[in-house]
Amino acid sequence: MGAQEKSQANSNPLQRVKVYRLNDDGKWDDQGTGHVTVDYLERSEELGLYVIDEEDSETLLLHRITPDDIYRKQEDTIISWRDPEFSTELALSFQETSGCSYIWDHICNVQRSLHFSTLNSEAFQSMNSELRELPAVEHSTLPLILKTMSESGIADQMRLTELILNDQDFFRKLMDVFRICEDLENIDGLHMIFKIVRGIIMLNSPQIFEKIFGDELIMDVIGSLEYDPEISHIQHHRIFLKEHVVFKEAIPIRDPHVLSKIHQTYRVGYLKDVVLARVLDEGTVANLNSIIHGNNAVVVSLLKDDNTFIQELFARLRSPATSAESKKNLVYFLHEFCSLSKSLQMVQQLRLFRYEMTEAVCIKSRILSFVAISVPSIFDIIADTLQNEDKKIVLTGTDILILFLNQDPNLLRSYAVRQEGIQLLGLLVKGMITDFGDDMHCQFLEILRSLLDSYTLSGAQRDNIIEIFYEKHLGQLIDVITASCPNEVVPPSSGKSSGFGERVDTRNGTKPEILSNICELLCFCVLHHPYRIKCNFLLDNVIEKVLTLTRRKEKYLVVAAVRFVRTILSCHDEHLINHFVKNNLLKPIVDAFVSNGDRYNLLNSAILELFEYIRKENLKSLLKYIVDSFWNELVKFEHLTSIQSLKVKYEQCLEQCGAKSTGNILDPRKRNDERALEKEEEDYFNEDSDEEDTASASHTQKPQAQPVSSNGVAAGYPSLCPRSSGLVDYDDDEDDEDYRPPPKKQLETPEEDEGTIESLGMKRKLPSKDKEPELVKKQQLGKHSKSRESVFAALCSTLSHAVLPSTKTATAVHATPVDGNKGSTEESHQENDPVILRTCSDNESTSGEENHKEKDPAGPKSCSDCLHSTSENGQMIGDDGPLIPPPKSSPEMTARIAEGMAFFGGAEPKGG
Amino acid sequence: MSDLDRQIEQLKRCEPLKESEVKALCLKAMEILVEESNVQRVDAPVTICGDIHGQFYDMKELFKVGGDCPKTSYLFLGDFVDRGYYSVETFLLLLALKVRYPDRITLIRGNHESRQITQVYGFYDECLRKYGSVNVWRYCTDIFDYMSLSALIENKVFSVHGGLSPAISTLDQIRTIDRKQEVPHDGAMCDLLWSDPEDIVDGWGLSPRGAGFLFGGSVVTSFNHSNNIDYICRAHQLVMEGYKWMFRNQIVTVWSAPNYCYRCGNVAAILELDENLNKQFRVFDAAPPESRGAPAKNPAPDYFL
Repeated sequence: MGAQEKSQANSNPLQRVKVYRLNDDGKWDDQGTGHVTVDYLERSEELGLYVIDEEDSETLLLHRITPDDIYRKQEDTIISWRDPEFSTELALSFQETSGCSYIWDHICNVQRSLHFSTLNSEAFQSMNSELRELPAVEHSTLPLILKTMSESGIADQMRLTELILNDQDFFRKLMDVFRICEDLENIDGLHMIFKIVRGIIMLNSPQIFEKIFGDELIMDVIGSLEYDPEISHIQHHRIFLKEHVVFKEAIPIRDPHVLSKIHQTYRVGYLKDVVLARVLDEGTVANLNSIIHGNNAVVVSLLKDDNTFIQELFARLRSPATSAESKKNLVYFLHEFCSLSKSLQMVQQLRLFRYEMTEAVCIKSRILSFVAISVPSIFDIIADTLQNEDKKIVLTGTDILILFLNQDPNLLRSYAVRQEGIQLLGLLVKGMITDFGDDMHCQFLEILRSLLDSYTLSGAQRDNIIEIFYEKHLGQLIDVITASCPNEVVPPSSGKSSGFGERVDTRNGTKPEILSNICELLCFCVLHHPYRIKCNFLLDNVIEKVLTLTRRKEKYLVVAAVRFVRTILSCHDEHLINHFVKNNLLKPIVDAFVSNGDRYNLLNSAILELFEYIRKENLKSLLKYIVDSFWNELVKFEHLTSIQSLKVKYEQCLEQCGAKSTGNILDPRKRNDERALEKEEEDYFNEDSDEEDTASASHTQKPQAQPVSSNGVAAGYPSLCPRSSGLVDYDDDEDDEDYRPPPKKQLETPEEDEGTIESLGMKRKLPSKDKEPELVKKQQLGKHSKSRESVFAALCSTLSHAVLPSTKTATAVHATPVDGNKGSTEESHQENDPVILRTCSDNESTSGEENHKEKDPAGPKSCSDCLHSTSENGQMIGDDGPLIPPPKSSPEMTARIAEGMAFFGGAEPKGG
Repeated sequence: MSDLDRQIEQLKRCEPLKESEVKALCLKAMEILVEESNVQRVDAPVTICGDIHGQFYDMKELFKVGGDCPKTSYLFLGDFVDRGYYSVETFLLLLALKVRYPDRITLIRGNHESRQITQVYGFYDECLRKYGSVNVWRYCTDIFDYMSLSALIENKVFSVHGGLSPAISTLDQIRTIDRKQEVPHDGAMCDLLWSDPEDIVDGWGLSPRGAGFLFGGSVVTSFNHSNNIDYICRAHQLVMEGYKWMFRNQIVTVWSAPNYCYRCGNVAAILELDENLNKQFRVFDAAPPESRGAPAKNPAPDYFL
């Protein structure tokens, strides 16, 4: 085992050799190729030659170097000797001549020192006149040893290390003296020994560590470190290690070598983290860590190779007969085993991995070593664990899952889509919405995100998992929100007291952090599955439900809801934006803003930023909706620049729309070609043309950009013409008209409104009053089915466009609207809709989404927009998992940041 | 003694809290921080501190020099974590003090209060090491998102971790940043946390850090003038003397991590402002080795492997 560890470090071409053995026929047999090192033979002070097979890392050759003159060097690349153990000739054929002479020199050195040690080391005197020898270890020589140690420079330290190593009995004697001092309570002696031992450890010699951390010495060494002269009271490390620490054997480990390594690992860790934590330098810590890592590697690989052990572990975990207590220990053991496997060095993992391949298990990359034995079964076990009543165990189960995700997320993903894996996703969702009391359980969100990550999932896998998630679990999450948020908001008494207390308290006991996690996951979904989200959000009023979070008293949940809206808007999806307008979905946000009053807090900033975003991105329908609907309330905040600019922008839009629509008419070709790109503007044109029309009817002084007569829009149907031929379904129009509470309000209190917008709105209302009866009729047609069906219609209207002769025709119709065409387009819509409605509901959401993908001409655009904005906003959502390298940031940016890091990472820190 | 007071005492001994305690603390802190402004108003007298970077024992020196919280009111300019050995204890102590005395200590965000940066510079690893999972890191980084971006002392001293942004000419413009997010790679929020003043730059220059900008004296003059402030107080850059004035006393850097990274050999400083905004810098050295208490790590009581 020791040899295997050593092999890792020695993959130097200089040490690459072929091993030959002279057979009985007098021919040289090739024994294999490997790397040669000179190292201590296990559990002895003697040096030997090791050759580790480069193929399988087995020990090809182990030869104790003897002082006898048996070695021959030939042709600069061959070392041969008659081996007393094998009683035949052996030879090493080196790849490099320098490698050969290096090992040759080594052998000669070892031989020399073997001679010298028999000659009482006299020859060493010539090498170092300063430090010839260490005095024999006795109580009386402790001061001298300490002096020697504390006065030695760097070069002397190397010499000192050699001397200590050459004295076979040094440590045994030192520990004898220690025990005597301890018995006699000779504190001075104990303090000196403390310093000597500490100094020896600080020499940071792997060979010394190997000695003093052996089973025989380590407890005494730790004991000697209890007597720190700088600490007034004596530490009780040995008592802690012997009496308080419990070594738990979930499954009995039979191999004494493994057991010894396990104990050693704990003790070395204890020495490093507790006993000497304050004094160790980085180099020593690194060496101690590498001992620990090496041990872990050995332990894990030995246990992994022990098939019966793993089988027993799994069998016991699955057996119903296993007691709860022992199951608990087994799960904890599994967790520790997995985390150790994870910490194995790459080399080791690759090596282990090669073994797995022969077992023909479907693993494609380096993984937790033992998993290969049975990938499904370990996830089955974890699924089982997640259903445990003990919540600590459940959390340990998720920790194990996280370890797997870190290694290779695809393992878990491919399991999750299998028949037997489906329940795992459900358990994770359940875990996410389960109250774990004081314990942290953010792992669930973490794992779900990784499973739903659209950037890293591969095609089929992704579709499957996402399919299942939306079909089965989205509703579940939304239900948690609706169940824990109050139905109604107590109307805030307009900022007289704190808006905080006025919100209705939670109805049930769902922890706010659970709601916050759900909201975070939903934001993640918006960015990762724009199509899916669209379908589901439009159908089930999800947005409205999520926005009930604004009624929670915890302000960070209100902020989370704002963030959710902001994330959706960043997708630039027409349908979703219209959905907001149509269903008055910004009302809860504006309400939250208003009831927050003049407090300048995170909520205030978040909503102002949302307004700024709408303004800067020129989301005209929202702009119009907000100002039209909420200006009465927002006017109180007009002193804020953002609110002011919102209104200014609104006014600009009103003005611009005239000029723009003229331009559009003048250049219909452009509209055709750049439809997708200018869709937004076009919508604006669509939306506002009615307003402009009505406004121009009364404001004759305004330039009549689009005379009623010229485009043939009948006064009574100002909005229908352009809309019905556009991509956006005309249901929106209805709703636009239908949705009119704020204007109504304005009608009721016209005397309050003095701003131009208000008067515009007023005037707009006047003619609209005339058409009210007709509109009402129209609304009633679709009224009952409104929320759900109109959404369907929204999805389907695009389909119906595809059914129509061609989108281009529709566009042309739009660009030069003609009354007759308009009517027929509208009719065809109405005819088509029911049919498509059925199709949609038959195929459930899937088909809806696919249809969209295929037929929505704006689809590709909004999609790429969405992805694009994701790359910008990924960070904003705060969802960059540490465990999965965030692919969200654009490469350029990452490079910039990396540059910054490189700058910091230099030897001289320049400041934070 | 309340739980919180007990936790503060425990943290002052450099002993980290349990995971469940961290969670409860973070949730409380979230409710407090969400009510703060992007430009948090701070009353004088107050003591301003720069980067700490997980140098717990040196922060204890800081409190020795500056006085205990809540007796002294503190404003910390960010970079509580990374690089030092005790980011967890350092940040949790400051956060516990914030929850216990919300009006006596203000914590604003530094560029290291970020998921990306902490994964590279140590806080992430430290959490993993000390708790065995990254849950604590996750909670703490969530808290980072709620932390204020800057502070304004008595309308006269503008305090921020890094510096100015070309996107921000008035304090009012900071208001419309939705700060509840990971520190972005560019834009106003990024700049406030990443920028540096630079003598040789006239106007704005590219920052070698890869984020934020370099800004010259004229930028500072016009910012201070248009916002009617006396000077800007910021941190973010190691200064060997602990503090450094620039541009004719229009901006000062305060650095509070002595012997930064345990090897830079610098002294640290804090800036005390009295009720009339009179300034006094207090310079201090790294904690002597012997005052660095017993190691914080509690050994696991049992082991399987």
